[in-house]
Amino acid sequence: MDFQGINDRLLVLHAPGLLGADEPRPPDPADKKDKGRSGDPYVLVDPQQLVPFLEVCRDDERLRFELLVDLTATDPAVDDEQLWINVALLSVTHRHRLSIKCQLPKADPVLPSTTPVYRASQWHERECAEMFGITFAGHPDPRHMLLPDDWVGHPLRKDYEFPKEYHGISCE
Amino acid sequence: MDERSTATEQLEARVREAQVAGGGEQEFMLDVRTQDMEVNFGPQHPATHGVMRVLMRTDGELCTGAQPHLGYLHRCAEKIGENVEWLQYLPYTDRYDYLAAMNNNLGYSMAVEAVLGIEIPRRAEMLRVICAELNRIGSHLIAFGTYGLDIGAFTPFFYAFREREWMQALFEKICGARLTYSYIRIGGVFNDAPPGWLEEVALFCDTFEQKWPEYYDLLIENQIFIKRTANVGIIPHDMALDFGLTGPMLRASGIDFDLRRDLPYSLYGEIWKDGAFRIPVGKGEKGHLGDCWDRTWVRMVEMMESIKIVRWCLAHIEEGPVLGDLPKTLRVPPGEAYVGIENPRGELGHYVVSGGDKVALRVRVRGPSFTNLAVLEDLLPGSLVGDAIAIIGSTDIVVGETDR
Repeated sequence: MDFQGINDRLLVLHAPGLLGADEPRPPDPADKKDKGRSGDPYVLVDPQQLVPFLEVCRDDERLRFELLVDLTATDPAVDDEQLWINVALLSVTHRHRLSIKCQLPKADPVLPSTTPVYRASQWHERECAEMFGITFAGHPDPRHMLLPDDWVGHPLRKDYEFPKEYHGISCE
Repeated sequence: MDERSTATEQLEARVREAQVAGGGEQEFMLDVRTQDMEVNFGPQHPATHGVMRVLMRTDGELCTGAQPHLGYLHRCAEKIGENVEWLQYLPYTDRYDYLAAMNNNLGYSMAVEAVLGIEIPRRAEMLRVICAELNRIGSHLIAFGTYGLDIGAFTPFFYAFREREWMQALFEKICGARLTYSYIRIGGVFNDAPPGWLEEVALFCDTFEQKWPEYYDLLIENQIFIKRTANVGIIPHDMALDFGLTGPMLRASGIDFDLRRDLPYSLYGEIWKDGAFRIPVGKGEKGHLGDCWDRTWVRMVEMMESIKIVRWCLAHIEEGPVLGDLPKTLRVPPGEAYVGIENPRGELGHYVVSGGDKVALRVRVRGPSFTNLAVLEDLLPGSLVGDAIAIIGSTDIVVGETDR
């Protein structure tokens, strides 16, 4: 199925938390500042409803997204009040993909862990948590993934300040 | 106590299964349990294929728990991606899966091209596929050579490196580097093949085709190897999907899925329609479906399929430009794309976000080794300590990629 088909199917199923879809569009000729948007289409989902949404994606016969390929986050800008959660799903049976985006307020970056739906997300969530300071409520193993256990700060946040030293090792 | 008894149950079930599969020939001693012990495997153990540490809980000869600790090779690739220009990031892609740098270049270039929305010259696509497939052969050669080394077969390693050396010499001729190529660029490839290069690739294919059956017999059909890997580290169908495994690990569990055929990119759709290659899928020939032997077998057979793809390209390549006309300082229009390609180890995904500037807002790398490694947490408990090496080796990870 192409993106349109997947989106229609999600609408028919009343997938929980589905907020809309965003597709690439050319620049608006009337507005000179508008550059349009290129790249891939994605669906927007409420982060608090992500777990039941993924369950629908995985279990519906015509969607059948068996694989969670990627779960990550994005900090678009320092002055942006939202973080994005980006999920990439893949269906082995139907050979199609879906990109999901959730917007999560930086003031309270908490969402339920998706580990019960896909075991694959456990390590991705651990990485996301340490890099962006997101809390995945109910995560079975919330340790650091790549950073040392005593590392301070969340390096992939745009407002991250590089440490001056680490255990007596100068970083400048 | 609970964990211990479940692990023992798993082992007993596995032994029963092995006895059924092996016609009751194998006899296992089950009084191998002594006392709980924590064993630190790595960070520098040669069988970890890099700097990785696995904290293993053992009970005598039985592994009852495993916790991989990563991060020793973390080089902040994603953060660097947000701080350098689009083209400047390319050399960093070489350094995550350093055994398949061509494929990494291809994945990143394709992700940026998806946001740019540009077409690639046909000759460049041909050269991309040739290089990516040659690199796949080189990577699988390492996989099969070092796997033999891990479990005690020393000889295949030298044969593997002999062929790999030639492959690296070919890459040196086309781009000057032997490991970190940065040859596939955004918009095409860096330069055209030097005179005589394509003929030498054809010669490499001929030679490799002759040698390959020898390697197959030497390791894959070797009785000692079969005894060591068959029925060991079985990943069932559902577990493979749940853990998000990709590449040879997924296909070894009997799931017929390859991005080159099923979500084709570059020229692979055309090559597949021409019937030039097929996708090897594990069948559980020597033991149980999804065991270590199946994973090695899939990689082994894939090498020959790569040769066929290279040959198709050599037969169809035409003269033409190899690099599109792009400005030196690239400004990518606002947008985002996720592009996944079939790396030797599985799906390499790049998620790039552009804000319309000359620097990316986000470069996310989804390395196949990272997800393929996660399966160890569930796969090692219940196995024998001696099999742990065989299982870790069969996942064929590159630590540069798990840590990025």
